[in-house]
Amino acid sequence: SASRGRLEGGATAQQYEKMAALSSEFGDLVQIKKQLISVISLCKERVNPVCLLISSAPAFGGLRFSLLQEDVEDLDALGLAKSYFDLKEYDRAAYFLRGCRSKKAYFLYMYSRYLSGEKKKDDETVDSLGPLEKGQVRNEALRELRVELSKKHRTGELDGFTLYLYGVVLRKLDLLKEAVDVFVEATHALPLHWGAWLELCNLITNIEMLKSLSLPDCWIRDFFLAHMYTELQMIKEALQKYQSLIEAGFSKSTYIISQIAVAYHNIRDIDQALSLFNELREQDPYRIENMDTFSNLLYVRSMKPELSYLAHNLVEIDKYRVETCCVIGNYYSLRSQHEKAALYFQRALKLNPRCLGAWTLMGHEYMEMKNTSAAIQAYRHAIEVNKRDYRAWYGLGQTYEILKMHFYCLYYYRRAHQLRPNDSRMLVALGECYEKLSQLSEAKKCYWRAYSVGDVERMALLKLAKLHEQLNESDEAAHCYIIYIQDIFSCGELLEHVEVSTALRYLGQYYFKNKRYDEASLCAQRCCDYNDAREEGKALLRQISQVRDQGEASSADVSLPCVFGSLSNNNTPVRRVSPLDLSSVTP
Amino acid sequence: MASVHESLYFNPMMTNGVVHANVFGIKDWVTPYKISVLVLLDEMTISKRMTLLERRRLNKLILPLQQVPPQLHMMVVGELKDMESFFDTLPNPFSDAESEASKTSVVGLFMRHMLLAYNKLSFSQVYKLYTALQRYYDDCLGSQPGPPTAPPVDADMELSEMELTSTEDGAEGKMDKEEPDAGPMQYSELLCPLSQKQAEYFLARQAYLLKNDENKALKPAALQEELNNMLKFNPDFAEAHYLSYLNSMRVQDVFISTHSLLHYFDRLILTGGDGKSNGDEGYGRSLRYAALNLAALHCRFGHYQQAELALQEAIRIAQESNDHVCLQHCLSWLYTLEQMKGSDSSVLTEDSVKMAAHFGLPYLASLGIQSLVQQGATGGKAANMLMDALKDTDILHWKHSLSELIDISLAQTTSIWRMYGKSTMALQCAQVLLNMNSLEQVDFGVQQNNTEAFAVVLCHLAELHAEQGLFGASSEILKHLKERFPPHTQHAKLWMLCDLKIQFERAMNDGKYHLAEPHVAAIAALDQMEGLYRKGLVMKAQNQTTDAYRVLQRLQLLCEKTKCTEMIIRVMLTTAELHWESSGFSTALPLLLQALVLARQHHLQALASETILHLAFSQLMLGVPEQALNILHEAMEPILAHGALLDKGRALLLVAKCQMAVSGGREDRRTGLEQAVQTLDEAAAYFSRMGCKDRLRDTHYLQARLHHALGHTAQRNECALLFRMVDQELPPARANLANRL
Repeated sequence: SASRGRLEGGATAQQYEKMAALSSEFGDLVQIKKQLISVISLCKERVNPVCLLISSAPAFGGLRFSLLQEDVEDLDALGLAKSYFDLKEYDRAAYFLRGCRSKKAYFLYMYSRYLSGEKKKDDETVDSLGPLEKGQVRNEALRELRVELSKKHRTGELDGFTLYLYGVVLRKLDLLKEAVDVFVEATHALPLHWGAWLELCNLITNIEMLKSLSLPDCWIRDFFLAHMYTELQMIKEALQKYQSLIEAGFSKSTYIISQIAVAYHNIRDIDQALSLFNELREQDPYRIENMDTFSNLLYVRSMKPELSYLAHNLVEIDKYRVETCCVIGNYYSLRSQHEKAALYFQRALKLNPRCLGAWTLMGHEYMEMKNTSAAIQAYRHAIEVNKRDYRAWYGLGQTYEILKMHFYCLYYYRRAHQLRPNDSRMLVALGECYEKLSQLSEAKKCYWRAYSVGDVERMALLKLAKLHEQLNESDEAAHCYIIYIQDIFSCGELLEHVEVSTALRYLGQYYFKNKRYDEASLCAQRCCDYNDAREEGKALLRQISQVRDQGEASSADVSLPCVFGSLSNNNTPVRRVSPLDLSSVTP
Repeated sequence: MASVHESLYFNPMMTNGVVHANVFGIKDWVTPYKISVLVLLDEMTISKRMTLLERRRLNKLILPLQQVPPQLHMMVVGELKDMESFFDTLPNPFSDAESEASKTSVVGLFMRHMLLAYNKLSFSQVYKLYTALQRYYDDCLGSQPGPPTAPPVDADMELSEMELTSTEDGAEGKMDKEEPDAGPMQYSELLCPLSQKQAEYFLARQAYLLKNDENKALKPAALQEELNNMLKFNPDFAEAHYLSYLNSMRVQDVFISTHSLLHYFDRLILTGGDGKSNGDEGYGRSLRYAALNLAALHCRFGHYQQAELALQEAIRIAQESNDHVCLQHCLSWLYTLEQMKGSDSSVLTEDSVKMAAHFGLPYLASLGIQSLVQQGATGGKAANMLMDALKDTDILHWKHSLSELIDISLAQTTSIWRMYGKSTMALQCAQVLLNMNSLEQVDFGVQQNNTEAFAVVLCHLAELHAEQGLFGASSEILKHLKERFPPHTQHAKLWMLCDLKIQFERAMNDGKYHLAEPHVAAIAALDQMEGLYRKGLVMKAQNQTTDAYRVLQRLQLLCEKTKCTEMIIRVMLTTAELHWESSGFSTALPLLLQALVLARQHHLQALASETILHLAFSQLMLGVPEQALNILHEAMEPILAHGALLDKGRALLLVAKCQMAVSGGREDRRTGLEQAVQTLDEAAAYFSRMGCKDRLRDTHYLQARLHHALGHTAQRNECALLFRMVDQELPPARANLANRL
């Protein structure tokens, strides 16, 4: 129940974060702040452990809006129950609340019963009577709670909090459709209760469903929508939402910054995400939430010292947190200590078995350790937790690819591709598999599509070009190489791309064959910049000069693709960074 | 679902990232059901020991148990201590070496297991067991007065349990109306745990039924729901995924079946072996079979390209790890695939048979031989070779008790005899299969195995009866088929096609072409070639000669591609008939001769006789009745012995016509005509048995004319009357009726 408590606490904390972000200088936001303060006090009275003693103290009495007659009657019982509740003696709390009539007491009464059932269920699983029975342990209280709550629900006696609880009960009973309705109702009754929104978020599976819901018109809805868009991988829309929220005055909210960073991470805009996370760390140095995502980014960029710093820092703050364990796992993984990494991911899973990322990451570690069967199991677990986890599907595909089952892994890659239609990595993986299976036309389609959706690793075009080369489709191959080279140089990164020389070499030959000696010699010269292609470049240059000596005119066929138009133009030398000037990075 | 995962981590189940279903290697758990078995055993040991001769007394012993043994009752209505004392007083198998329950006997082992398992239970587990026992007892007594020892996974109970779950989920909307307090009662019933063994038994039984008698298995939707339930509780239960694959294959759901199959193998890979061995056992092996099964799946759905790719993969992996058995399985799928694609795979099949025999895989070898026989039969191999091969495999089957293959072999023999036109032999073979006692123990109330072989044989039987004019019997058989193989099951297509064919033939013979026409579309849906052929027939009958010709041409091309000799010959015959319509009797001759050669080559006796009839008719029309009679003599014998009633009648009618033509100008004209009259009488008898009024009319007409020529006025009048009666019933005869066989 620790993780559960954290979830609900997390919702409140996120509300605080929002509040903290509001500064008084925005006049129209004062109202929002007031709303937040009131809802937080409402939450506190009910669940937040800290506030019981204080709330009965007269000093805080002023914050209460209206003490109904019933509330006063129940005050003592409520106080007693609340302290039992805080001590996790749920049955005891429920017992003392059984006769209370106020809504507050009723909620606490039901909530204690729910949590008591959950706790018993967890305890029960250890004492199961057989492996199959193990899964059949249920929260016995759910059924009764549902019956009682549905009665009250029909008569309309439920307030926002009890509606939320009713929704949770329905969800636990797998009555998802009803649960969605109740959560929507809960958001209407108490729009500022973020917990209900979060639950709703877990239940919505696609954009159509989201559109069909009638949600309360409140500023918090924008937060919800942005969150939802991120979940549904509609990153562009999510970013827009967050941007507008920032402009509306939430600029200091660490919550929004973290969400934007996660969104950038999801679309693999690593630099943006990294800078945002760094900003977040400055503003909120003891934050643990989302740090696992940060560590993923550091891992991808192989930033060892930063990752090491982050890991040590987090361990100091709290070493028994899922995020901390994931960060440490990533750290060990980057240091190629995969056993230790897997150990830490396991620890993360012990802390929260529904932590999706850890299952997937553990799968990756097992892959590194060549323990494919364990990897498959880890990925399968990840999929069980969330069917839409494309990383796990992709990981499964990779595992089978390692086992050289190229046809078999197609299915998994396809699933991953379905979930992320615009992710080039799955497309490239699919293409590679098709290539291995000699399904070249499919492979070509995949590579081209991968390039069209924005190739992250810039390998798709090259592979496509090689395919064309293999099929003797020289025009297409040349075309691909040309785009590839343009792409490499236009992005400005002067990374070492070994394959550039291959492309140049091919293009040189291609132009030579087509008697376009100017372009050919240009390519040949560029070839000379690379060690592995130098000899061939020189040979080609010699050939060209030979042919030219014989007086053969270069063909002026305009229909041939000509990329280097810009190079032969006069403006080439004037450009600040010549696209083909790689002399500085040539070893 | 979340609860499962959350709970996993409270258990020390996880080592090396792998969750083991068995925590401490305990396979046996004490369940309420097992307690009742223990009670039974206890009762048995208390009473006198049984000798082999006294087995019958077992029934007497079980009787008190069926009427609720006092011990069990005492436990349930009593307190926890009653159960505890039961386990304390349970006879110790160690104490008494003489008893049936000595420590090494099966019973003793079971009791020891149970005692151990019971002693390992924790405090709260004991109480849980006790409450489970109470519930179990109440359930059995409450729901049915029957024996409480009935296996708890009895199909009915499963069903009722499932319905409870489904109403729980589905009836939410209605819940508002009824009293919600009724809920918790149902809920508590669900808590009766399904033990590992029970679940395994359930899966095994359903799988068996799916294979052997689909009717008895749960309906696809219900089964799927049950499986989903099971998987929800225990996602690691890999076998359920496999059954889900089989189940979705039943309803031709590509998506779910692929998903389930791959999920099964993903799970299997975990449980099999220690995870790292790539050898014969465990992990590497399941990988190979995973690829092979995927190939099989694509094959079944007709995705030939994917199937080929998957198969290549399976073959490659199997080769890399030197798994010959797997390779043989791959090879057998490979030739099946080739065959399905319509290419010649006999070489592959032969290889497969040889290799399978070499590696001692009788099942695969026989399958290969059967496939070879099938190919040989269509390819025109010598009949004696085929029959020899079948006989040899039969010996193999009996030796290895491969009852499934025996059935197939018999069904195949039936089909082959039928194809050769030996209806008597076919009938016999069919009866042999139907009257054979299955080798496999007939289990789960399955009376007979409802496999494809049986469906095939029954279809043949129905057609054979219809051919002999026994339409009542034939429709009885079809009715039986419908019951045994309801329309949604896998083999239903067989009888559907058979039923349609029979109806089509009847309508055509009756001359009711408008009735035959709607059947064409239905037949085409089940079998493209057959449909096209029937379309041609209807068109021809309706005088749409050009259209019919076009259809037949198209069909011929199709047949030549698929090398379907039977159909080619039939198309040739029909084309020849089309030529007759335009009086092109001489043009029909080469076509008929070609057909005759083909039919003889492939030993298709029925078709050969049919071709001879056509030839004779052509000759008759060309004015050489003597020749026609000569060749007719050759065909008469097989037709009379094996042919359908209609063929017999037609042949006799033709003979009569020839006899008339021959005796035209001769002196012994009278004897010739008298012969012809006799022949016609016989033909008329056949036609009336078939109810083929169209031809009956012709026959009566001829009879009347002959009697007139012979001067038998009374008979003439009789025949004329008969003719008139039939003629009134039928639409006016077509002009070119003479141009018909």
